[in-house]
Amino acid sequence: MIQVKQLSKSFADLEVLKNIDLEVEKSEVVVLIGGSGSGKSTLLRCLNFLEIANSGEILLNGKSIDDKTNLNKVREKVGMVFQHFNLFPHKTVLENVMEAPIYVKGVDKQKAKQQALNLLEKVGLKEHVHYYPDHLSGGQKQRVAIARSLAMEPDVMLFDEPTSALDPELVGEVLQVMKNLAEEGMTMIVVTHEMGFAREMADRVIMLADGVIIEEGHPDEFFTNPKHDRTQRFLKQIL
Amino acid sequence: MEFFTNILSIFQEHGTAFLEATWLTVSITAVSLLIATLIGVVVAGLKLSSIKLLNLIADLYIGIIRGTPLIVQIMFLYYGIANFIMLDSFTAGAIALGVHSGAYIAEIFRGAIQSIDKGQLEAARSLGMPTTLAMRRIVFPQAFKRAIPSLGNQFIIGLKDSSLVAYISVTELFNTALSAQGENYMPFETYFVVGIYYLILVLIFTQIMNRVERKFDVNRPKKVKVA
Ligand SMILES: Nc1ncnc2c1ncn2[C@@H]1O[C@H](COP(=O)(O)OP(=O)(O)O)[C@@H](O)[C@H]1O
Ligand SMILES: [Mg+2]
Repeated sequence: MIQVKQLSKSFADLEVLKNIDLEVEKSEVVVLIGGSGSGKSTLLRCLNFLEIANSGEILLNGKSIDDKTNLNKVREKVGMVFQHFNLFPHKTVLENVMEAPIYVKGVDKQKAKQQALNLLEKVGLKEHVHYYPDHLSGGQKQRVAIARSLAMEPDVMLFDEPTSALDPELVGEVLQVMKNLAEEGMTMIVVTHEMGFAREMADRVIMLADGVIIEEGHPDEFFTNPKHDRTQRFLKQIL
Repeated sequence: MEFFTNILSIFQEHGTAFLEATWLTVSITAVSLLIATLIGVVVAGLKLSSIKLLNLIADLYIGIIRGTPLIVQIMFLYYGIANFIMLDSFTAGAIALGVHSGAYIAEIFRGAIQSIDKGQLEAARSLGMPTTLAMRRIVFPQAFKRAIPSLGNQFIIGLKDSSLVAYISVTELFNTALSAQGENYMPFETYFVVGIYYLILVLIFTQIMNRVERKFDVNRPKKVKVA
């Protein structure tokens, strides 16, 4: 589904990602962990081209993405959920979800509305479709953001610390939506510190440190028997 | 008591002139603010552009306009360039006022656009929106809403500044007051009356802007539409 080959990214003199190799299969759930500043967000942002890597190659469904590729088309297929939701505050919940299908894909309004209603029901927000984002809790906002991404029918969903900005009691409802999504077979790359989610849902856990993948493995193995001492230290810190 | 009889006589003598003058003040203000808003949009775009030359052009324009008095700009456009282009006084006045306010409005728009969290643009682009569409659908509406209070303020300044075109013989309110007090020798009452005219115009305009502001405030509970 996604192949990353020798990806590097720098900001001025700061090398943030160093020769990243990564392959994600269809329906795979990959959890990405690592300390603050290790490059997790940058890696996700490179995958949907909000940042352009300095070197290396990204293939999506076997197709290499180069200068000639229309990046807007690529982003349609790579959904992204942000730590701070980034809902459109001047639009209702329903309008947030309908916006991109109508204005990017040209989907008929009535059809877009039906699809949006279905998605909002799926994330448990059927009662809130006419609310504005400011009137929702953090957990509700993040569920709308997930529905908004899903409305573009992406091939893969990227989550950048989707529950880090939430009050503890609201984390569960967002994780539940993500679990349902994983169970439906969505391909997901998730940056999170929720190790319960990683243990239960991840097919693979990847540890990033200073822009390098230092360890990866199945969660059973990864959590009980981490090999790298930086992974051991990191896990001790957050568990 | 004399004050009131004087006021009454001003209305009797110059009532029609003030009424016509009010219309001129309102129309030259409206035309100039339309010009100013268009200039503001374009120049804000130039300032936010990533092309250095365009930034420079915008800075030059804003620098010159803010660095020179409005009355000089008005006189320049009417008398100063008369040897090359003869503009009638209304046109010269409207353009001068518009070009003047345009510089301030450009800064208001630029500030409002820059104040929108960049996560908004990113979220829109992550959904596959091209940047121009994302700006138009997501960033600009929010920026415009945020700009409304400052914009209203600038519009009121523009309305009052229109009094300066009196000096290029546009017979708007202030010009009418100048000629009236030249005839009646009642400067106190005449300037008092013209002040009231401006005050009323500003109050009406403030009401309109408050409505506009409320209309854009999505967080105010609206009447539920029954489909
Ligand atoms: N746009 C940017 N410009 C400059 N430096 C950046 C930018 N984005 C991220 N960085 C830097 O890159 C490093 C990795 O950041 P990030 O990918 O956000 O880390 P993480 O998500 O793992 O905490 C940090 O040192 C950060 O300061
Ligand atoms: Mg991050």
